[in-house]
Amino acid sequence: MTQSSLPDESEIRALVGHEFPGGRYTIAHWENFLLTECTGAPPLPGDLAHPVALFHMPILGAQTSIGEMFALGQAESDFSIGIESYDWEFFAPMREELEYDVTGRITSAERREEDGRTFDRIQFQFDLHEPDNRHAARTTITWHYRRNLT
Amino acid sequence: MKVEVGDTIPEWHMPSVRAERMRTMAAILRDPNPVHWDPRVVEKLGFGHHTINQGPLGLSYMINMLHEWAGHESIRRLYMTFPKVVLDEDDITAQGTVTAVRDENGETLVDCDIWLLRSDGDKPLQGKATVCIS
Repeated sequence: MTQSSLPDESEIRALVGHEFPGGRYTIAHWENFLLTECTGAPPLPGDLAHPVALFHMPILGAQTSIGEMFALGQAESDFSIGIESYDWEFFAPMREELEYDVTGRITSAERREEDGRTFDRIQFQFDLHEPDNRHAARTTITWHYRRNLT
Repeated sequence: MKVEVGDTIPEWHMPSVRAERMRTMAAILRDPNPVHWDPRVVEKLGFGHHTINQGPLGLSYMINMLHEWAGHESIRRLYMTFPKVVLDEDDITAQGTVTAVRDENGETLVDCDIWLLRSDGDKPLQGKATVCIS
């Protein structure tokens, strides 16, 4: 991925309100097992899913991808993305083999200048609901798309 | 479970961050960024012949710490910043302290400052957590 020219600021601002298609996602047992193993922890009791799943499953469940999120902000390269913050709210424990309804959108997009550097600050928000419509979790991802790195 | 402001959360230690776990994580996340699996790319960025740990994977070490301390269903909120990168072979310890204890909607919630400490003294990840202890 390469995007060498600075995108127009209006194109970045216009991302606010962008809705991902949305969809459903079930954390499979094998997926939860491997994910938990990556964290260095033993398998969690019962059907609990490791909370770290709240990064990838909303993205994939909303029918988008890390690559598409990079592309939406016209990232200069894979290396030009900086993480400002992840804000994860859990309203119920996450469980494997439970089908979640996932929605996602861009809630903020703006150009900033700090310390002589230009970047676009883009915020994504995803919501998970259980099959009975209980709000299970919300995640807010804030990335910096750093410009003119090359 | 009795908790007071200023309490130290029992730490959780990852003696050597493993590159193969980053690769598995990249596959699960469908994360195309080569910094997590190609050390040649990372070397060109000036971090040496290493791979860069995924942000959520670093966060997961603090989740494991909170699970062992307050239980597997205790986490209500995590807010994390990523001032520096974690590399494979890093010696990392998740640590935290209690900053507030409060009652809300019939639950006792505990607010914490949490972070990762590298053996060189850096704190590559820093954030906050809220856990329920009742």
